Amino acid sequence: MNSTLIIQSLISGVMMGSVYALLGVGFSLTWGVMKVINVAHATFGLLAAFFAYTALQAYGVDPLISLVVSAPLLFLIGCTLYHLLIVRITSAKAVIVSSMILTFGIAIILENLMLLLWGADPRLFTTSYTSKVIIIGPFYFQYPPVIGFLMSIVGVTLLHLFLKKTYLGKAVRAAWQQPDASQLCGINLKRISAITFGLAVSTAGAGGLGMGLLYSFEPHSHNLWLIHLFLVVIVGGVGNVLGTALAGVIVGVITGLSMAFLPYQWVNLLTFGLLMVILVVRPQGLFQSEI
Amino acid sequence: MKSDQFSSTNSNRLYQMIIPIVLVGLALFPFSEPPVYFISFVFWIFLYVCLSSSWNLIGGYAGYLSFGHVAFFGIGAYATAMFGKIFSLSVSLTLLGTIPAGLIASLIAIIVGYPCLRLRGPYFAVITLCFAFVSQLTVKNLEILGGADGLWLKTMDVSVEINRTIFYELMLALTSVTVLVSFLVGRSKFGAGLRAIKEDEEVAQTMAVNAPRLKITAFALSAFFPGVAGGIYACYLSYIHPDVVFDVNMSILQVLMALFGGASSWIGPVVGAVSLTVVNEGLSTFVKAELARIIYGCLFIVVIVFMPNGILEFFSRRTKRIDN
Repeated sequence: MNSTLIIQSLISGVMMGSVYALLGVGFSLTWGVMKVINVAHATFGLLAAFFAYTALQAYGVDPLISLVVSAPLLFLIGCTLYHLLIVRITSAKAVIVSSMILTFGIAIILENLMLLLWGADPRLFTTSYTSKVIIIGPFYFQYPPVIGFLMSIVGVTLLHLFLKKTYLGKAVRAAWQQPDASQLCGINLKRISAITFGLAVSTAGAGGLGMGLLYSFEPHSHNLWLIHLFLVVIVGGVGNVLGTALAGVIVGVITGLSMAFLPYQWVNLLTFGLLMVILVVRPQGLFQSEI
Repeated sequence: MKSDQFSSTNSNRLYQMIIPIVLVGLALFPFSEPPVYFISFVFWIFLYVCLSSSWNLIGGYAGYLSFGHVAFFGIGAYATAMFGKIFSLSVSLTLLGTIPAGLIASLIAIIVGYPCLRLRGPYFAVITLCFAFVSQLTVKNLEILGGADGLWLKTMDVSVEINRTIFYELMLALTSVTVLVSFLVGRSKFGAGLRAIKEDEEVAQTMAVNAPRLKITAFALSAFFPGVAGGIYACYLSYIHPDVVFDVNMSILQVLMALFGGASSWIGPVVGAVSLTVVNEGLSTFVKAELARIIYGCLFIVVIVFMPNGILEFFSRRTKRIDN
C-alpha cells in the first residue's frame, strides 16, 4: 500500500463524490421542501445522459452543450409533472409514501421508454477528450471526471446562491420552514413547489450527465444511482444542500478508497451496508439539517 | 373501520359459503386437465397473493412499508436449497424443509427488524430496500452458497403435469394459510394494535400498546410465509440464482399489489395480487414487454392519484353513492 495510490484514489473519490452531490441536491430539495421523494430523480438524470449521447453520436454536439437544451427541457417536464400529478397527492396523509409510489410509476415508464428508444446496451460518451489526462507530479487526472467535478461545483454553488440570495430562493426556503405562514406572506406555495420540482429535475439532468461522464450507462443504471442518492441525501441531512454536497464527497471518497482496495463486487455491498448503518445510527444525517 | 364493511354479519355468512367453494374449486382445477401453462400461471397468482398478503401484515396493518420483503423470499429459497444439499434430502423431504426455512427467515426478520423498526416512513422503506440488496449481494459473493453460479436442486421423477400439480396444491395450501392468518390478525386485538400504530404511534403507546413488540411480531410473522414460499419456489424451479430469488422488482411488486387492492383489509392484497398478475400476464402476451411495463407504470400512477386507498375502497364507495 503506497501513499501515491491512496492519494490518487482520494482524488478520484472526491471527483466521483462531487457528481453524486450534484445528482443528490435536487433529490434532497424535493424531499426536504415538498416532502416528495422523487424515486424517478435518477431516471431523469439518465434521460439527460441518453439525450446527450444521441446529440453526440448524431450531431457531434459536446455533452456539456447539450445540457443547454436538456436542462430547461427537464425544468419544463418537472413543472408539468408537478401540475399534472404530484399536486394531486400533496394533500394525502402519507405524502411521502404516495409520492414514492407515484414517482416509481414514472420511473418505470421512463426506463422502458429508454429501453424502447435506445436499447439495453451500455453506452459511453466518446468525445475528443475522453482519453486525455493531465499529469501533475505522480498523479494523473482524467478529463471526464475533472469536467464532472467542475460542473458539480458550478451547479451546487449556483443552487446554493439561488436559495440564499434570490427572492425566489428565499421563498422556497420560507415555504419549507413554515408552509402556512409563508402563504400568509403572499408566497404562492403551489408555484414555488412547481419551480422547486422543476429545478430539482433539471439539476438531476446535470448530475446524470456527470454520471455519464464517469461511468457507462444503460436504461437500468438509475436503480444503482438511486441507492447512491439515498445514501448521499440521508448522510447529508434531508433538505440540506451544502450537507448533501459534503456527503457526496464523503461517499465518493469511501467508494474511491474501497474500489482501490476491495474486489469490485464488495464495493456495492459496502455502500449499501454503510447506508443501513447510518440509517440505524443517525437517520437525521451527519450534519445539522438546515436548508 | 375499513375492515368493517367486509365483516358485517350479512357478508360474513356469504363469505362462509363462498370461500370453501372457491377453495375446493381451485384445488380441483388441475384435475380438469388444463394445459400446463394455466397450472403454472395460477401458481404464480398464488405466489403473489401469498407474498402480498404476508407483506400486508406489516405494511398494510401497521403502515411500515417494507420494500425489502423479497429478501425473506430469497432467504427461504436458499435455506431450503442448502438443507437439501447438506443433508442430501429427497425432494419431498426438501419440501418439508421449507418450514424451518420459513423460521430462519423469521429469525432474520427479528434480528434485522430490531434496529430497523425504530425507523419510520421513508427511512424504513429505504433501509429494507437496502437490506434486500445487501442480502442479494452477500449471497452472490459467498462461494459456499453457490455464489453467482446459483444452486441446483433435485427434481422429481414424475411427468411435468404431476410435478406442476403437486406444486400448485402446495402453493394453494400455503396461500390459504397466509390469507387466513392475515384475516385472523386483522380481526384480533393484535391487528387492532397494529392499526393503532399506523394511525399514530405515539398515541398508541400512551394507550398501552406495546408498539415495538407488536411491530417485531408482525414483521417476523410477515417474513415466515415468504420464507416458506421461497422454499417451495426453489423446489419448483429446481435452480435458484441470487438475481431470481432476490429480485428487487418482486419486492416492489408485492407492495404495489397490496396497495393496489387496498392495504387496510385482508382481501385487498388478494384482489390486488390477482388482478395485477392477470393484467401483467395479459399485457405481456399481447404487446411488447417494454410497452407492457409502460402501461403497468401508468396503472400505478392512476391508482395512487385517483384511488389512494386501493381499488376495493374506490369501488365500494362508488356503489354506496349509487345506492344512496
